Amino acid sequence: MSEDAVIKIKDLTMEYKISTANVSGLKDYLIRKIKKEINYRDLLAIDNVSFDVHKGEVVGIIGTNGSGKSTLLKLIAGAINPTSGKIEVDRKKVQLLTLGTGFDMELTGRENVYLNGSIVGYSREFLDEHYDEIVEFAELQDFMEEKVKNYSSGMVSRLGFAIATAGDAAEILLLDEVLSVGDEFFRQKSLKRIKEMIHGGSTVLLVSHGMGTILDNCDRAVWIEKGKLRMDGDVKTVCAEYRKSGGE
Amino acid sequence: MEDIKQYWFVIRELTGREIKRKYARSYLGILWSVLSPLLYMLVMTLVFSTMFKRKIQNFPLYYLSGYLFYNMFCQVSQSVMTVLVDNRNLLLRVKVPKNVFVLSRCYTALVNFGFSLLAFFPLLFLSGVKPSITMLLFPIDIILCMLFGLGVGYMLSIVYVFFADVKYLYTVFLTMLMYLSAIFYPIEQVPTAMQVVIYNNPVYDFMLFARDCMVYNTFPSADIWARIIIWGIASYLLGYLIFLRRENEVMQHI
Repeated sequence: MSEDAVIKIKDLTMEYKISTANVSGLKDYLIRKIKKEINYRDLLAIDNVSFDVHKGEVVGIIGTNGSGKSTLLKLIAGAINPTSGKIEVDRKKVQLLTLGTGFDMELTGRENVYLNGSIVGYSREFLDEHYDEIVEFAELQDFMEEKVKNYSSGMVSRLGFAIATAGDAAEILLLDEVLSVGDEFFRQKSLKRIKEMIHGGSTVLLVSHGMGTILDNCDRAVWIEKGKLRMDGDVKTVCAEYRKSGGE
Repeated sequence: MEDIKQYWFVIRELTGREIKRKYARSYLGILWSVLSPLLYMLVMTLVFSTMFKRKIQNFPLYYLSGYLFYNMFCQVSQSVMTVLVDNRNLLLRVKVPKNVFVLSRCYTALVNFGFSLLAFFPLLFLSGVKPSITMLLFPIDIILCMLFGLGVGYMLSIVYVFFADVKYLYTVFLTMLMYLSAIFYPIEQVPTAMQVVIYNNPVYDFMLFARDCMVYNTFPSADIWARIIIWGIASYLLGYLIFLRRENEVMQHI
């Protein structure tokens, strides 16, 4: 536990209450409630996880589907609050980037840059200043006045990536499966951008199913399985163990 | 300070989106906020004004002043109800308080209301109503009506996350509320028992207040003052409290 930890996670637990009966509506709910058919089951999405992330580290988070990786990122970003435990992180510096979220399909690319930018915490001045840079990076110069619903999925994620990584705003970048999108060229370009940010002192948490992406970019890996921290350490060792487990 | 500036920026961006979307495929755009109350007024006047001629002196004004507030309440409560679900994708990424989304819906309704006033004021003065000091009370009525709608919207927004059905129920409820707020008929027209119901309809109080200070140029009675203040503030506080307490539960479900 050194002094320069930018993210401190201690005994983090996230419990979801899941209704076992999948009610379809109010009527259904009332009927089942009366019949006492509704029971709740607790799902531990994150179970007593603790680890620190230091400034400038690139940490890969691995684990099978539904093991709690995305929940972990959402908790760090502050989108949801944990059931118990603590996360110490400067929320102002955190930027969470997930796929295809946060765009309004009915608006144009330009309008979405401003809407989305404002929501992730950029000021109007910042957006005015970096607008051209964002568009250029996303390679969407001719499409900005076009509605986003007419974009291809690759174009949408390019724009999302460009907004999230604009300027030097994000000191802590949380990437949820975003490095595996777009064409080969854009992927390389975004990897380069991430590397620049790391060079500039950004800290990155990367969730990915692609072992290659993790091995290539991270120096440390955290393996989460069924909400529990299975392993934390050097990326090669952890990935090798994960492979051996065969994804259980 | 920096934060507040950012929130304001977000609210304006969200409101811009809201309005652009609402009128996305129309030629007249936001002008519909002026036209639609006028058209409603026209229809209602054609249909009902002869029926209640002796009881209501200036039917178009009577109707419009009521309609504006009913509409304000509907817009605020209905749009706040769906705000969490509509913005599901954005909510997970926000750095701003979730309340900013709610406030943007209120601001949108307020902007719409402002445009409707472009229909209301000319009509008011064309009908020969003289400008009066009581008109300065109008904004108070608007704010309190908005707070009332906001409070109801807060509560409904939580319910709506878990039960989408509420939306349909609420639409029916709003229609009932309209008939129970004497928008287009004089209250004396209905049986006494019904009058009691209407008198206890909060939305009716906001209309009464508006008609007093804008159309009849009289100071609203202490009774109406008390009602709109209590309804507005109480609804807001209760709604906000529920909203805060359920916030985390909602985020997990969304």
